[in-house]
Amino acid sequence: MAVQDSSPTTWGPREDMRLLNADVPRVDGPLKVSGRARYTHDIRLPGMLWGKILCCPYPVAKPTLDFDRAQAVPGVRVVLPIEDGLRDGWTRRLGTPIAAVAADTPEAADDALAALNARYEEGDWAVNYDQAVAPDAPKVHEEGNIRHLQVDGDEAAAQGELDGCDAVVEAIYTLPVQFHACLETHGVVVDYRGEDEATIYASTQGTFTIAADAAQILGLPQNKVTVLVEHMGGGFGAKFGLDVPGRIACLLAKEARAPVHLMLSRADEFHTAGNRSGSTQYMKAGANADGKLKGLVARIWKFGGVNRGANPGQPYIYDVPTSYAEAMSILTHTDGSRAMRAPGHPQASFAIESVVDELAASLGLDPLEFRKKNLASPVYHRQLDRAAKEIGWAAHPNKLGPPAELPDRAVGIGFGVATWGAGGRPTCEVDVRIDQDGSVTSSVGTQDLGTGTRTYVASIVAEELGLPVSAVEPRIGDSRLGASVASGGSVTTPSLAPAVKDAAHKAREALFAELAELLGSNPRNLRAKDGVVFDVEESDKRMNWKEACACLAPAGIEARGTFQRGLAGNGVHGAQAAKVEVDTVTGELRVLKMVCVQDIGLPLNRLATRSQMNGGVIQALSYGLFEERVIDPWLGLGLNNGFEEYRIAGTKDIPEIVSIIDDEDRRDQVLGVGEPVVIPGQSAIANALFNACGVRIRDLPLTRDKIINGLTAL
Amino acid sequence: MADAPKEPEKRAPLPDNVSRRVFLKGAGGLAAGGALGSQAVASQKASAEAPAKTRTVSGRIEIPLSINGEKRKVSVEPRTTLLSLLRVHLQPPLTGTKLVCDRGACGACTVHLDGEPAYSCSLLAIDCVGREITTVEGLGAPDALSPVQQAFCEKDALMCGFCTPGFVMSVSACLEKNPAADDDEVRAACSGNLCRCGTYPPIFAAAQAAGRKLQGGR
Repeated sequence: MAVQDSSPTTWGPREDMRLLNADVPRVDGPLKVSGRARYTHDIRLPGMLWGKILCCPYPVAKPTLDFDRAQAVPGVRVVLPIEDGLRDGWTRRLGTPIAAVAADTPEAADDALAALNARYEEGDWAVNYDQAVAPDAPKVHEEGNIRHLQVDGDEAAAQGELDGCDAVVEAIYTLPVQFHACLETHGVVVDYRGEDEATIYASTQGTFTIAADAAQILGLPQNKVTVLVEHMGGGFGAKFGLDVPGRIACLLAKEARAPVHLMLSRADEFHTAGNRSGSTQYMKAGANADGKLKGLVARIWKFGGVNRGANPGQPYIYDVPTSYAEAMSILTHTDGSRAMRAPGHPQASFAIESVVDELAASLGLDPLEFRKKNLASPVYHRQLDRAAKEIGWAAHPNKLGPPAELPDRAVGIGFGVATWGAGGRPTCEVDVRIDQDGSVTSSVGTQDLGTGTRTYVASIVAEELGLPVSAVEPRIGDSRLGASVASGGSVTTPSLAPAVKDAAHKAREALFAELAELLGSNPRNLRAKDGVVFDVEESDKRMNWKEACACLAPAGIEARGTFQRGLAGNGVHGAQAAKVEVDTVTGELRVLKMVCVQDIGLPLNRLATRSQMNGGVIQALSYGLFEERVIDPWLGLGLNNGFEEYRIAGTKDIPEIVSIIDDEDRRDQVLGVGEPVVIPGQSAIANALFNACGVRIRDLPLTRDKIINGLTAL
Repeated sequence: MADAPKEPEKRAPLPDNVSRRVFLKGAGGLAAGGALGSQAVASQKASAEAPAKTRTVSGRIEIPLSINGEKRKVSVEPRTTLLSLLRVHLQPPLTGTKLVCDRGACGACTVHLDGEPAYSCSLLAIDCVGREITTVEGLGAPDALSPVQQAFCEKDALMCGFCTPGFVMSVSACLEKNPAADDDEVRAACSGNLCRCGTYPPIFAAAQAAGRKLQGGR
């Protein structure tokens, strides 16, 4: 039956909620823990070939390949040169794909790559700042390697303000390039057999970002290309569009007229699948003895390889009356940066939080109180206070700095804050269907990156209809279903959840309209709760869910929901605190505890929200302590292209983590928290290191050699 | 990673129709032929070094394996890893065991060999003949989860889920030996597993909850 237009204007009272603002185990848990969840890596199709790519290990080189020899390897079906990344036969960045093969087995595909017997003539390249800005530097971009200059503020005014300050800190802060390091590498399976349609299984953050390009390569109309994303193994900002492996898999499948499975190798994932841009930031900031920031001059260099990199600018979150910031991109012949969980924000956070901390120390002030004096929003004040309470700041002896005599094991505490937009946008179209037998389906094309999207696509509907979560089947990850946003910038939940609520609301209203007639009730008096539909005024008028649905016409009810702006918020804060222990003899740094306080409006699923907060804290810890892309400046080779050399946090690195949802945020709106929770952690840890022992490290990661050097210099 | 799963010490018996020495000659020949694996070249090299009467084996060979309690016969090459066998060559394949690093650095491919955790990416399939191989699919099905799998769901010890089968295998092997394993022991048992989403805290909590259940508590 057709559904009248009546959209919800509220999520309803929190105290009435059973499934929202509650701990709900995710609905795909059983599939994932038993190995039954099917990821793109796991797709197996009849006649499927195994695709592999050869990437050039040098930044700028002219490859010579033996295609005949590769083609002669038993089991090899297609060997293709890949030339779209070349100019006049030369690669233009480290990790450029130069050839691809498709074979009957992965082992035969490996043989074929080896048989290409790649030889390289090396060209001139620049992989770091010094090489890129040298007078005779080889150009990454025809207009030069220093690009995208942005200026904000009046430098002379800011400098003048600094001249009158009680304390001035002038320093350079450096952050390395970091990898997303998704455990499922980028890739697709293209099911194309030379006929008039194709299905693409993709490990992607955007179900709807793939079909157009794939259709063009395959020579099909876009409506003949279906994209499926059942489960995907991590994205963090790196997985949008058809991308390198997708384009190449389409080319191979078109040539072979057979399905092709193509996932990047781990080593290639490091140099042709994006990264978080590196950053060098010169900061000169001043404050007065009363603890108020007065002026700031900042110069920001972004290292995004062939891309421009990211930084939201300085003074980032803090209130500085007179500031000047200039930013530019330094281009190098390395893989381009991509969005990575809060693009640019962790970099900006590290520089400004360090400067703020250094100014507080130099003025002999409490760094927590100093922060609050320079943050306008009361939300930061309450969140910092909560984090301070949880980390034990009041009883901490080092509130005004490290002691003169260091113990063998020094303990310190540090802080940092975050900001993010996380707003919703009108894209999503959700269909809720109630069938005659009582089954309920909630459908939308969205993907679930592991954040719990699939679960709330069901739980919002279950809440509305008074049913258990298990009574609603969520259908997602399919481009034939209703449109959805790509998952970037923490926008999925605020864009999608209001549309799910809208569809559920409309479906319930339609059901009540049908039943009201049968029961002789006013539809406004009907309620759905605990699997029963009843009249609040006449208690004998009630039907259980199955009886109620049996009254529906054979077509059941189908309601489409769209974005409801009033149900989505915009703008979040966040505060974190870190407690560390430093062995002042060996320089070993251990993070003991981290506290994350995050506002999120209405938490759809408290369990999944806390997990996402833990995850942000852990990724920031890993960034602060371990992660750094290393490219040999003389050879131009990537030196840490595997998890042995590129270390990410493991079980023994994980401190006690306290993730606190800020329930004082009473907004009747949903928001995303993927980004904000990953922003301030490494800043808080670096500040805690200083607070413990007086060693200020201005370049991440906080490795032991730097700490020992710092301790020696004290 | 001193506490990562160890490779098995005992050697597996080979199928009746092939001797270990002969098989390894074939494998060595392939290696000598380079990554290209040109089998003609490899066979010649192996033959030249082998006694005249020895039959050289290279290319594919069928081996019997015991996987999740079932007897299976699978055609493999000398170089085929257990991981590749499970995910690609077995029909139908078992894809719960994940390929992530392919070099023993992340634990996503962890299986049990005679109850011991092992990296299937770093084992040759041929070395698993005669051993009992258990994959995550063998621990429990979605409607009949093991206590460890159940605890992972309840504690939300998974996000994207790609590392999850490996962690489930490592935690299960740890608790199988000692259901009373404390947090340090669990962390040590999983120190060869990596997670990128950052689900470690609930994994540790799930291990403790499952341990209590295995000890008969609640």
